[in-house]
Amino acid sequence: MKKYNRILAIGSIVTSLSIAFVSCDKSISEPQRVGYAPASVDEKAGTWKTYVLTAPTDVTVATPSATSSTDYQAELTDLKSKSASLTQAQQEAVVYWGAGAVYRWNEIARELCARYNIPPASNADGKYPVPDAANPLADPKFPFANPPYSSRALAYLSVAQYDALVAAWSYKYKFNRVAPSKVDATVRVALPTSALPAYPSEDAVVAAASAVVLKAMFPGEVPFIDAKLAEHQNSRLWAGMNVASDLSAGIDLGNQAAAKVMARAKTDGMSAANNQAVTAGMIQAAKDRGLAEVWVSQETPARPPMLPNFGAVSTWNLDRTTLVQIRPTPPPALNDANYEKDMNELKEINKSQTREQARIANYWSDGAGSYTPPGHWHRTAANAANDAKYSEVRMARTLALVGTALMDAAVGCWEAKYYYYYPRPQQFGMKTSVGLPNFPSYPSGHSTFSAAAATVLTSIFPDKAKDFQDEASEASTSRVYGLIHYRFDSNGGLDHGNKIGSYAVARAKADGSGL
Amino acid sequence: MKTNLKCLIVVSLLTPFAAKAQMPNDAIYMGKNQLCVAGMYNHTSWNQYWENTLKRENFNIGTQTTQSVMLMPAFGISKRVNVIMSLPYIWTSNSAGNLMGQHGIQDLSIWLKVKALQAGGFSLNAIVGGSVPLGNYVPNFMPMSIGMQCRTFTGRLLASYREPKTGLYLTAYGSYGWRSNSKIDQDAYQADDRVYNTDQVKVPNTYDAAVRLGVQRKGWQTEVWAERVSCLSGDNIRRNDMPYPTNKMQATSVGWYGKVQPRNIGVNARIGYVLDGLNVGQSTSYTVGLLYQINFKK
Repeated sequence: MKKYNRILAIGSIVTSLSIAFVSCDKSISEPQRVGYAPASVDEKAGTWKTYVLTAPTDVTVATPSATSSTDYQAELTDLKSKSASLTQAQQEAVVYWGAGAVYRWNEIARELCARYNIPPASNADGKYPVPDAANPLADPKFPFANPPYSSRALAYLSVAQYDALVAAWSYKYKFNRVAPSKVDATVRVALPTSALPAYPSEDAVVAAASAVVLKAMFPGEVPFIDAKLAEHQNSRLWAGMNVASDLSAGIDLGNQAAAKVMARAKTDGMSAANNQAVTAGMIQAAKDRGLAEVWVSQETPARPPMLPNFGAVSTWNLDRTTLVQIRPTPPPALNDANYEKDMNELKEINKSQTREQARIANYWSDGAGSYTPPGHWHRTAANAANDAKYSEVRMARTLALVGTALMDAAVGCWEAKYYYYYPRPQQFGMKTSVGLPNFPSYPSGHSTFSAAAATVLTSIFPDKAKDFQDEASEASTSRVYGLIHYRFDSNGGLDHGNKIGSYAVARAKADGSGL
Repeated sequence: MKTNLKCLIVVSLLTPFAAKAQMPNDAIYMGKNQLCVAGMYNHTSWNQYWENTLKRENFNIGTQTTQSVMLMPAFGISKRVNVIMSLPYIWTSNSAGNLMGQHGIQDLSIWLKVKALQAGGFSLNAIVGGSVPLGNYVPNFMPMSIGMQCRTFTGRLLASYREPKTGLYLTAYGSYGWRSNSKIDQDAYQADDRVYNTDQVKVPNTYDAAVRLGVQRKGWQTEVWAERVSCLSGDNIRRNDMPYPTNKMQATSVGWYGKVQPRNIGVNARIGYVLDGLNVGQSTSYTVGLLYQINFKK
């Protein structure tokens, strides 16, 4: 009997252990975004100031056939058959894209940034091969979507979406062709509808413009992007939201607008951003100004610094003269009292980093394999605009303002980094809990990006000002906690970023939106 | 008063799975009300690893070293039912580069080992175990992290035959390991070629299989072993990227284990070497332990 009791006892221990450990399933829950009718359709957005287009008439849209025409009625019949009953996969596509065209393409772009954000490996000769745009999937893959690269890719994406949508809004209200469900109430719609005219389709405009930019920025991803483009268009048919000519006109407009935006990209100086020949002069200039020890790569073999000439790339919201004028003031001389104070802070963290410091450093690390700090702030901006139920065009405006500010921050920060050529704390024995970026220390890029984005977001969403400012401050400090920046790097970057962001805010105040 | 080989030793320290707790992997049992406490030190290092299938070195890591000290009590509820616990303190370092070493208490493991069947020298044993993270360490700063911050539950079936006269034995086992999701400090990360917008990370489940051939005599034991540990799913390390808890890690290892315990006090030692792997370091490990056995009154 005793034996049985024991077996019973053991059995129940095993069972309860199993339940305790195994009962929780492994599915992962991510925040879900669903479609909404916009708080405002922003019917005057066709007059808002664009970045690259001089006017909506820079792009052309064919006059649509009337809803009473046989052509349109045939499209309507086709739409009804496509939207009548959906497969599970079609329903999922409708819900996914229904969250927002700009929202989803921004998210896709961030994912591409993450996928391509890995520095090339050194080869047997101890050299780092440069990614080749003509052979994007070879090792190393093109591009290396580091923070400056990602800031630029996301800025052009957002500008193309915005300019294309402003033009689309202009044509929408010129032609005023209503949505198919307003023509025929028997069209089954799967998403919230609004009073916005349907021709050309804003979804198709965004999809086409985004695809053009992303294919240029990530040339190895053409099949992936084409598949997204096709699914996005189809989802509008499945959802009963657009007839085929709404979509084809939108695609056409999006392609035209994005081509103009990409023409600017081709001449913005990016092709010379990795010109390593400029560093010798930069180093000499920094030494001439009295810097006792310049930045050197801490990697083995020494890696050429990241995009040393990115500071010469064209900016969006401020001019070159201003950029140089607002460059952060010089960092402390190595070994002066201010330097010692901030170095001592790092030494203390190096010795006994707290778990909370590690957490903050990790949360904001956005290093290799991530969508970078510009991607992080695009995400914050997109979520805030989605929460506020912004229309597509207003969402695009928000992301274009934040995105151009982030790219301006990248240009300004890189210009300052290579101007000062200041050594990293790792040159003086510090370790890191987040990984060390391969470029000079002062000022902190995270700080510049974060302050610039937070300044713009604060202006757009004043109710959330404190959140954005706190986040920027924490992102900045995270680099001290991660031991890769001195406190003065972070403070210099925050100040610089605030200034850079203010030029985007000034643009926003004057873009005719009245927002 | 007879103290012989009954002291149960649990060693796995399959080094690529530094996060994994120690595992009971033999058919040796403590007698009723016997307690054996082992204190062990482990040293594991590699200077080459498999990045996906590419075997490579990394000049910015040099040699990666993981060390641990571990307390492992084993207790005989009866001579057919044993309970084993373990709790390691782990620290990591590199010989090159500037990644900060991590250190701390890792996961508490508890194992229950039951001799389900005994016929002559043959025995069939059922082993279940679980572990929970005790330390609040960072799970995804790999390869410096000391663990993966997930709960585990393992079921193992172990068959063993020991020839009574010579003490020659052959043991084989296979296990299935369930691992919970892990929580990271970030709220977005990349895995499976996509971005997950959450702090929840799916850590793959595992299986393992091993054979061990040795001699167990009064006061001593020696064996050679081969082991295969593998994740059942997961992604690969991207080109020139760091490993991640979502990776499909696999390793085939061989090694030797020996123990001498003439009286209450004994010592044991283990060495292991990874022959082949995927998304893991090609590590060499050694463990030395001090054993102390106490008999409680019945």
